[in-house]
Amino acid sequence: MKNTLPALRASRGMTQGDLADALNVSRQTVNAIETGRYDPSLPLAFAIARLFSSTIEDIFKPD
Amino acid sequence: MSAATTSVKSAGRNYLIEFSLVLGLYAATAGGRPWLIAHAHNPSLALAATLAPIVPIWLMLAVVWRYYRHIDEYAQKRFLETLAISFGIGSCALVTYAFLTDAGLPPLALSWAWPTLAAAWLITTFVRRIADSR
Repeated sequence: MKNTLPALRASRGMTQGDLADALNVSRQTVNAIETGRYDPSLPLAFAIARLFSSTIEDIFKPD
Repeated sequence: MSAATTSVKSAGRNYLIEFSLVLGLYAATAGGRPWLIAHAHNPSLALAATLAPIVPIWLMLAVVWRYYRHIDEYAQKRFLETLAISFGIGSCALVTYAFLTDAGLPPLALSWAWPTLAAAWLITTFVRRIADSR
């Protein structure tokens, strides 16, 4: 699954570590999501969408 | 994500500390067992020394479970994958050795199964980390 997370994060001036802290996950997890190696669970995807005041569909797109 | 991830950042450090302590306890009880048995003044003490390594073995399971409950979902997924792969490798290694004993290799005690599986887990974790860093 593709995602716009790196762009969203950059637009907020956040590092992967900052985002990880905000989501209460590890930086490795944020990196894995951003690079498409891991698709987050629905609760985590909702948390990401909520954090960026967006929707899951706007952030995550099927390949 | 779950309530279990409240201390996700400190989970790794805590795990390392707890695991090292329990591993040290295992090494002490397993390594010191022959001496303790030989110098035990009564059969109860000898029996306690004989069974002492059982305690850290089960403590280790508790430490691993505690760590699993405190890491995030991606880490949990990787943890379980690594565990499954290493269990497969370790089991195959044990069965292979069992057949090799029929071909002349010295038989090993059943207690070697646990260190073998632990070593397979350690190696698998190490190899996956190297692969991921590329």
